[in-house]
Parts: sequence; structure tokens; C-alpha cells
Amino acid sequence: MAILKINGENKIFEKVPSTMKALLEFLNVDDATVVAEVNGQIIPRGSFHNTILQDGHNVELIRFVGGG
Amino acid sequence: MKKLIIAGKEFTSRLFIGTGKYSSNKIMAQSIEASATEMVTVALRRVDIQNPQDNMLAAIDRKKYLLLPNTSGARNADEALRLARLARAATDINWLKLEVTPDPYYLLPDPIETLKAAEILVKEGFVVLPYINADPVLAKKLQDIGTATVMPLAAPIGSNQGLKTKAAIEIIIAQATIPVVVDAGLGMPSHAAEAMEMGADAVLINTAIATANDPIKMAEAFKKAVQAGREAFEAGSASVKNHADASSPLTGFLRD
Repeated sequence: MAILKINGENKIFEKVPSTMKALLEFLNVDDATVVAEVNGQIIPRGSFHNTILQDGHNVELIRFVGGG
Repeated sequence: MKKLIIAGKEFTSRLFIGTGKYSSNKIMAQSIEASATEMVTVALRRVDIQNPQDNMLAAIDRKKYLLLPNTSGARNADEALRLARLARAATDINWLKLEVTPDPYYLLPDPIETLKAAEILVKEGFVVLPYINADPVLAKKLQDIGTATVMPLAAPIGSNQGLKTKAAIEIIIAQATIPVVVDAGLGMPSHAAEAMEMGADAVLINTAIATANDPIKMAEAFKKAVQAGREAFEAGSASVKNHADASSPLTGFLRD
């Protein structure tokens, strides 16, 4: 069992997806539309596949929405 | 109409459009098209993990419309900086509508935090378009530190009250060497035309279009009003007098 904090909420995994890319696939989020932070650090879009996730990481997944 | 230039980029349209509050992405896209805008604002929010497929950006043709990410939701400079850097990471564009609004009831921009964030963002290479109260001293300070525009409010965001800050915006325009974009509070095309007639370089409209009964028609109406107001400004207005000044000749009357 492992925990990732995703957008402010703890999510429990049998096994944490190994990379940011794997997490986005697991969550069914199109990686072309999001920007991500891990522990407050912005992950460059091209680096999702080699961003290693571990138990206890704080992940933010952000995207554009309508706004003025 | 003279072209508008912001940070070296030419705009034919002087109407910028916000993308919030539309009933659907389709209506939004059609309204954007009807407005003939070339720049649209967008906000950054957490992905809804329960509904991960929702992607409004797919409805916006990035070849036709420059995205202007905003820092809405930021309550201080640090939160604005974080959103700005995320926006740049997400889009590879460095244009930014900087807004810092600590109080959600009036959503008035915090001048101190805005100036603080603007200084840092300009140094980091952002093209900063700050949303400000209609404060000529602040506008001048932002101009001096290198923001690309200033964007004074006409009235509180989404209030549709019109040009409540007219006298202060006139001073901002008089002393500006960068474009002045009137942002927030313009509720009707006539309000936008008034801002343009007095020499604003552009206006930014969201609520007035998005929440109209027919947003697409309202977008078209704003397009015309902004054009008309700008052309009137370029034409130079006739003088106002306290008495009549006959338009027909005062000679050759049919009387003795």
C-alpha cells in the first residue's frame, strides 16, 4: 500500500504508478492537456515519462479552464 | 483602424475575450469567432479527477487565437507567481494576465502584491498584462518596471456596471506609453465604445458576452462597438458647446 496526495486528496494505491506518465494513464488524463507539479516542483511537459513517483509524493495536476 | 501592438505583436482586433461562464464550449467557440478577437484569456485550475476528459482548450483554435493565461484565484504575489510559471510550463507562451484578488466579494486587485509579482515576472521574461484598479500612480509604476500593458478595471469583475472609473482611466491613458486595456465591468457594447472613444487601446470582455441571452450575437455587437469607438477616437471628436451651432446656413431664409 502506498499513498499519493493528488490535488489535495490522499489516494491509496496497491502500488504507486512508477512515473507521472503512468499516473496520468491510470487516471485517464490526457497528458497533452495538463501541467504537473511534484512536491511543488513543476514537471516539464516532456519529462512526464521519466518523472519517478514514490509513496508520499504530493502531486498537482492542473489544466486550463474557461476564465476571464 | 490603426493596429494595436503589444510587446511587438500586432493585433487587428482591439477586443479581447474571456472564456469563462459560457454554457458550452461550442457556444464559447462560436462567440470567440463572432467577436473577431485575436486573444482569449484562460484560467488554470486543478484537473477534476472524476471528470478527467473535460478539456475546453480543444475548442480554441490556437493558430487563430493567442492564449492569455490568467492568475485568477491568486490571493497574493506568491500564488500568482506559481500560477504564472505553471501557465508557461503548460503552453510555452510567456504572455500572462496578472491578477491578484484577495477578496472574493469585490474581486478588487491588490496593488502591492500585483506590483511585487509583476517585477519578478518581468525579470523572468514574462509579457505581463496586469489587471489593476484604475490607479494612475500604480499604472505608471507598472509601466516603469516594464509591463506590456496596464489593464484598469471599469467596475468590479462581472458586475456589468460600465465605466465607473472613467476619470481615473482618462488619466491613465494620458500618461501611458504602453497600451491601456480596459478590463472588467463593461456590461454593454456602448460601455466598450465609450472606453474606446476616450482612447483606450483595447477592452477585455467576458461576462457581458458569456451570460447574454445570445452570446454569439452579443460578441458581434461588442466587435462593432469596439471598432466604432476606436474609429471615432482616431477621427477626433467634434467640440462640445453650451449653445446651439446651426448645421444649416444662417443666410437665405425665405423671409423679408
